[in-house]
Amino acid sequence: MDFLAEGFRRALALLVSGDAEVYGIALLTLRIGVIATVLACGLGIPLGFVLATRPFWGRRAALTVVNTALAFPTVVLGLLLYGLLSRRGPLGAAGWLYTWQAIALGDVLLALPIAAALAAAAVHGVDPRIRRTAETLGAGRWRTAWTVAREARFALAAVITTAFGHVVAEIGSAMTVGGNIRGQTRTLTTAVALYTSQGDFGLALALGLILLLLALLVNVALQALQGRGHA
Amino acid sequence: MLELMDVRHEYDGRVVLRLERFAIPPGAAIAVVGPNGSGKSTLLRLLALLERPTHGRVLLDGAVVTAGGAARRRVTLVEQRPILFRATVRENLEFGLQVRGIRRAEVNRRVENVAARLGITPLLSRRRHELSDGEVQRVAVARALALEPDVLLLDEPASSADRAAALSLYRALADERARRPLAVCLASHQLEDAYRWADDVRALADGRLSPVTPENLFRVELMAAASGDLKHACVGTVEIAAMTDRTGPAILAVPPTDIFVSREPLASSARNTFQGRVTGLARRGPGGGGGAVHVTADVGVELIAVVTEEAVRDLGLVPGSPVVFSFKASAVRVF
Repeated sequence: MDFLAEGFRRALALLVSGDAEVYGIALLTLRIGVIATVLACGLGIPLGFVLATRPFWGRRAALTVVNTALAFPTVVLGLLLYGLLSRRGPLGAAGWLYTWQAIALGDVLLALPIAAALAAAAVHGVDPRIRRTAETLGAGRWRTAWTVAREARFALAAVITTAFGHVVAEIGSAMTVGGNIRGQTRTLTTAVALYTSQGDFGLALALGLILLLLALLVNVALQALQGRGHA
Repeated sequence: MLELMDVRHEYDGRVVLRLERFAIPPGAAIAVVGPNGSGKSTLLRLLALLERPTHGRVLLDGAVVTAGGAARRRVTLVEQRPILFRATVRENLEFGLQVRGIRRAEVNRRVENVAARLGITPLLSRRRHELSDGEVQRVAVARALALEPDVLLLDEPASSADRAAALSLYRALADERARRPLAVCLASHQLEDAYRWADDVRALADGRLSPVTPENLFRVELMAAASGDLKHACVGTVEIAAMTDRTGPAILAVPPTDIFVSREPLASSARNTFQGRVTGLARRGPGGGGGAVHVTADVGVELIAVVTEEAVRDLGLVPGSPVVFSFKASAVRVF
């Protein structure tokens, strides 16, 4: 019990004192999370829209691929990305291995199918009369698409929060392609793993609490959006 | 003039509509009636250019038009269960006008005008979840009328409204047609409304224009008879007897002029005798004259009989009065 209590005391002290390492790791995680979420949703939501609304050859297969990618193990994703980014890999010239960009790239690949699949489900859930109504009132293709997206806006916002939640909580790929380098690629999840293994329970706990706080904020935002979506 | 020419429409290989020609002349008031599944909604969606017919052409003023083309802005459909966008009623009314790039001042003027005409001004700031089904339907009609289309298509426009609201809606449509050239084509199962309101009533059965009078059309399953051609079919809560050699799925039509109307059951050869109450009386045509009265009665199913004005008077028929409808099995047409 003393060990736990001591850990909590140290964690709180680190958080309250504004420890540079703790907040540096948190800020880096946030920066990578925001960039990866913007890119993943920027590509994934339109892809989901197309999958949900445009009939084309191979649509069912594309949906299956996207849904399968949801369950892709992040460690394996990291491994593949490592192969691509390592010096001998096809993208080695970019010099991204063990940089925050590599972590962000892994996060984008992780969150893209999530954004696409959830966006497809969100758009698919919009009453088909909305599209017909927009069309019969004279809207063209883009205006109709925008109208359908507006109807699904709360569900689409929930897609963004969910993608962000996955990105900040990811560890497998971040550890493999980021290398967990102090001050450069150390994120909340990789740092928690490292400091726990090093026996610095208090520091790991402080970082874990920040991660928990982020998860809490994401959930509160999700619930607020779902509440508005029912209005 | 909006026309369908040599149209055949299929869903998953099943033909749901087959029409040589269906035309809506400028300023016409057309009612399309028929049982559920007869193709009314599909017909309206093709006319609204929301779907492309599997075969055939849609013409507007003689020129072939396609789904998604500019012609869609001259034709507007209000669906059977219309939906409003997640916005205020005012924003819903503005939608089509903004799509057309109409200036703000004109948008405001048209929205205020149409809201006043349809009696929905107090609803303008409400959102869709704050409206009843009848109000949603009224707003949807207003949203369509705000665009001042050449052709307005309405799918069961009074289905969500109570009787008074339905009559008020029909009055608003009549006023709109008096105000400017507007062709209206509505699908309705309320034959009484169709006759009261439309100049031209057309019947659809199994995706085709029916050659028989559109009243009393029913999609049924004819039960096999032990012997002979006298078959029975359940319609609503009653069983109609018909002379036919067919069994299985069929459309039954009971010509309204072949129905005897009385206050008491008649001792007669008629195999079909149903008691019920009068639910409506309609004088055919816009003027309401001509001497023929369409008597609608609920006898377990809604049936319409045509009688003279004199007969209505002699029998004392008013809405709510008891009535007996009788007709021979051989009068029932099966196709």
